[in-house]
Amino acid sequence: MADEGMKSSYWIVWVAMVVIGFGTFMYLATSGHPGQAWKAYLINFLIWSAIAQGGMLFSTLMHTVKAKWSGSLSGLSEAFAGFFPVSLILFLFLFFGGAHVFPWSHGHDLHGKEVWLNIPFLFTRDLIALFILYGLGFGYLYYSLQLKNVDTTNGKGIIRTLFRILQGGRQLEPQVIRKRMDMLAILYMLAFVLVLSLIGYDLVMALDPHWISTLFGAYTFVKAIYVGLGGLIIFAAVMHLNPKNDFTLPSSQFHDIGKLFFAFCLVWADFFYVQLVVIWYGNIPEETAYVIERVMMVPWKYLAWVVFAVSFVIPFFILLNKKVKTMPAFMMVLAACMIAGIWLEHLLLVGPSLSHSAHTLPLGINDVLISLGFLGLMLLALDSFLRQFPELARTEKREVS
Amino acid sequence: MAIDKYIMGLFKSEDQAVAAVQGLKESHWTLHRIHSPIPSHKLSEALNLKTSKVGWFTLCGGILGFFAGFALAILTAERWDLIVSGKPVRALVPFVIVGFEFTVLFAILGNLVGFLTQTRLPRLQNLNHYDERCSGEHFGVLASCQEDQQEGLHSLFVENGGIVRVFD
Repeated sequence: MADEGMKSSYWIVWVAMVVIGFGTFMYLATSGHPGQAWKAYLINFLIWSAIAQGGMLFSTLMHTVKAKWSGSLSGLSEAFAGFFPVSLILFLFLFFGGAHVFPWSHGHDLHGKEVWLNIPFLFTRDLIALFILYGLGFGYLYYSLQLKNVDTTNGKGIIRTLFRILQGGRQLEPQVIRKRMDMLAILYMLAFVLVLSLIGYDLVMALDPHWISTLFGAYTFVKAIYVGLGGLIIFAAVMHLNPKNDFTLPSSQFHDIGKLFFAFCLVWADFFYVQLVVIWYGNIPEETAYVIERVMMVPWKYLAWVVFAVSFVIPFFILLNKKVKTMPAFMMVLAACMIAGIWLEHLLLVGPSLSHSAHTLPLGINDVLISLGFLGLMLLALDSFLRQFPELARTEKREVS
Repeated sequence: MAIDKYIMGLFKSEDQAVAAVQGLKESHWTLHRIHSPIPSHKLSEALNLKTSKVGWFTLCGGILGFFAGFALAILTAERWDLIVSGKPVRALVPFVIVGFEFTVLFAILGNLVGFLTQTRLPRLQNLNHYDERCSGEHFGVLASCQEDQQEGLHSLFVENGGIVRVFD
């Protein structure tokens, strides 16, 4: 009972965070600054969805490559699916801010791009895309839970009940389950790449409708894997450090996921650089204007250096060290800083398109409070999902330390 | 003064070798050398070996390579001073590629140098007190004792399941 009490007190904190975030958002939206409110909303929608999508990707990836080291971490990463329905609702809500987050939707000559860039079509295609991605994620999860011998005949919760109805008391052979998981994992990863590319083009790149970078889609999904791993490290470290949980990880696993995180730190920087070098060589005003505004003009140029340092330089040099990767508390702080850096990177990408004439950096306490609300939503989703499926957060017995 | 005798215990399993090493550490005999047919964590732990220094060679190689790559690109570009399509002669953005490639190359070379020096290669003389079975499937543990204590050392190896070879 004491445990239940602890859970509900946390629950209240997270609901309070959501209320603060939503309150700030509503206050800003109704008090004459809707642009600011919707900008913060868009950035947070993108980053928290990416954490959930990238977190889930970890499990599908490990399953596909038949990794043996990642057992308990995979289970934990599947809990990020709890944010999928939230993300879908958040995307639908974005529709109301369409006029504020899509500068091209009013008074822009799109030179024929109207066919692609119009609000009804954009929302329809992105909604379908997200629906497919999340559907595949849940499909994979459905079989993954069966393989973990989760007995859905008991227990409460909407998703658990849904799984019970779907399963209908049938028991499949483990080989059959594995085969279906193989297929769904690969389909999820394929959808991840395509859907995240589409989201990147539609919700970030197209805010400046005349700027094109072919690799922007790939850059978006690589970034999603990077923040997804960061989110998973934080989640695993919190679960590991809390003695109330029946979940521990050997330091070798923290070391391994730290290495993967380090690798994606480099991949992210690489995808950033390969876009930059092509634009630099081409030197076409249509392409360079976007970069110049963000890395050479006040106030954005300072932010650009901060993003580069926090998301790449600092993690890179720290993660060269082996011992650091085995320290959960330290990795948690580092991953949180990196995610904050990627938050600022989103601001750097969408900010200049949404507030052209800014002389000072449009960043304030309101953005922090709105982000807090989204963090609350993520924590609520994870908590509710783990309470429905406590089996996901158990240390696998066969693991060796 | 008694003469030192060199005795080698040859073991077929890792655990036996580890047990023999631990037995030797508790005794007053001197442990000289260990041969292992596989890289063994258990033996490293039993011997309290320090962490390998090869990583430092790799890091130094990488740092050196990073600057060497930029230096090569900058120096060769400045040698000709050709301005191509309005780009600066010292164009740092594309030189990152050269810097990166050299970082990788020099890190690998540094790693190789580290490996060779840390494993004390090349070795031009044959080892003293060596048994050829160590090149096969056996773990070899070489220790020395004073001549009158031979039997004690002998029985330590035998108790741990080893074959014993006494060197003259």
